Amino acid sequence: MKEKIIAIIEETLMLPEGSITESSTMEEVEAWDSLAHVMIIGELENRLGIVIPLDEAIEITGVADILSKAGV
Amino acid sequence: MKTAILSNINMDACIRLLKRDADVYDGEGYGNELGTLMNPASSLYAYAPEIIFIVEDLCELIGHNPDEKAAKDSIASWFDSLRSVLRDDIIYYIADAYAWGGELAVVPDNGKKIRLELLWQQELDKLTCECTNTRIFPYRRLIEQAGEAAAFSLKTWYMGRIPHSLGLQQSMVKEMYRLISIEKRTPMKVLALDIDNTLWGGLAGEADITPIELSDDHSGLAFKNLQRIILQLKQQGVLLTIVSKNNEKDAWDIIDNHPHMILRRQDFVATRINWDNKADSLVSIAKELNLGLDSFVFFDDNPTERDLIIKTLPQVVVPDFPSSPEDLPQAMITIWKDYFARPVVTNEDKDKTKQYQANTAREQSRIAAGSFDEYLKGLDIVLTRVDETRHTDRILQLLNKTNQFNLTTRRHTLAEIQEYLSDRNRKLFVYSARDVFGDYGIIVVAVTRILDSALVIEELVMSCRVMGKLIENAIIHDIENWAASNDKVRILGLYRASSKNQPVTNLYPGLSYSPVDDSTREGMADYLPEAKGEEYSIYCYEPASKSERNYILRLDIEA
Repeated sequence: MKEKIIAIIEETLMLPEGSITESSTMEEVEAWDSLAHVMIIGELENRLGIVIPLDEAIEITGVADILSKAGV
Repeated sequence: MKTAILSNINMDACIRLLKRDADVYDGEGYGNELGTLMNPASSLYAYAPEIIFIVEDLCELIGHNPDEKAAKDSIASWFDSLRSVLRDDIIYYIADAYAWGGELAVVPDNGKKIRLELLWQQELDKLTCECTNTRIFPYRRLIEQAGEAAAFSLKTWYMGRIPHSLGLQQSMVKEMYRLISIEKRTPMKVLALDIDNTLWGGLAGEADITPIELSDDHSGLAFKNLQRIILQLKQQGVLLTIVSKNNEKDAWDIIDNHPHMILRRQDFVATRINWDNKADSLVSIAKELNLGLDSFVFFDDNPTERDLIIKTLPQVVVPDFPSSPEDLPQAMITIWKDYFARPVVTNEDKDKTKQYQANTAREQSRIAAGSFDEYLKGLDIVLTRVDETRHTDRILQLLNKTNQFNLTTRRHTLAEIQEYLSDRNRKLFVYSARDVFGDYGIIVVAVTRILDSALVIEELVMSCRVMGKLIENAIIHDIENWAASNDKVRILGLYRASSKNQPVTNLYPGLSYSPVDDSTREGMADYLPEAKGEEYSIYCYEPASKSERNYILRLDIEA
């Protein structure tokens, strides 16, 4: 599941495979702006069924937060 | 092409995707698409887009009120506003409608959604008929292909007013790239088809009619569906030809008589059913149709034949052939998209097969007639000067696609044509022609500029279909008569050589027009098309000298 989540983040950010790791954060990844963030949260729900409530989605700061919300 | 996406919803993610391979307008946010279009000082016009995609969310546009009367009014007023701001030099792709809103799920009336969408579709159809630079963006089909659940996301809608999933955004952007490329390219004209294992399964002549695979089930149905698609290509102006190795009679037996054949003898403009080398057959068809091999696509199941064409006629497009018959229909759809699809289909395009077939009949009658005059008399040509304001699409197509009978080979935009039509100092002469074998449609456009005492023929183009029938002499005569009756004592004709317009090099000299000498030319600099005037020759003729104009046809002038 971890790999799938990271792959979706990379695809949404239009980054090559291997660019994103478990420790990547929004702050250090330039392409991960608020628009891209909306798309990532949407894709996780649409494709992996990972539902992150709206108010929690805006608190996320990086991959680690997403993995913990997803329970993996 | 410089591209813009406008919408009443957040399309920024789409814009970001499109930017990877296109020059795209950054936008002023969303929800003010009409305001942006209406404001001449907007950053949109400063960017100067050539193509604008407008994607409207229908439920947002009608304020999520499913009342049809209210919706009809909002939609009509949106289209009225759009109509008032359209510019001739921009191509507009407007999305058709997909109503996406939770409220529709609880409306007991199941027909509500489609009726709301239809209200939009009717206005959209009306607009695209009226304005030749507006086209439909197939938004709804993309959603249907993805499925509503996969196409939309409530999460992104709530977070950022983005209703579309990444998958739908990717397919929208792919479609936009495709449409942009169609706007830029010249489509192919001829589809050269093999028959055995291509139009049907199995080999003609190997067994009776029924054992070939062509039917309403299994592989036979796949071949039948392929033929249905090919027939639609023909209706849009693609010329169908057969290039096959068969005994002719075996092939025609099936084409004429098989109950499941969709394509019949009359759908093909030229056929080579013989045991000759297929490269030779293609060359001979190109010669018969008077078309370049670079406008041919060759579709054949046999890899050896494809390889031969690739090696000997590299200008012919040779697509791969699917390994299984069930993939044939989709392969042909892809070929259509890649090589034949055109942004606008004119009436001339729709009748193309008939016109080329009539040409073959004319050619045979020329051989039978003996003398050229006898041949022309037998053709009984009627040339008609038509109302130039009613054929803008065809005028643009002729000016931009004609290479041989084209005196200057200047290409034009729709906006320029419209400017010519409304310019009091210009007159366009547009002609259609017909003869005993059929109607050629609109075949000649001349753009002239009216000066105090002279008329300048700035552009003169004629479709290659009607060359060699002295029609040009009648056209020039008609223009000369018009000039004389409007008190013009001189007619000036412009000519600029290109790599393909040798057939008209001698047009003006052959009609007793004299080259203008250098000193006279200096005074005429203003009449030359802006830059590079030195490439143009100017020829002059005085109608008072009444040179003889030789042609055999009847000229009508429409009111």
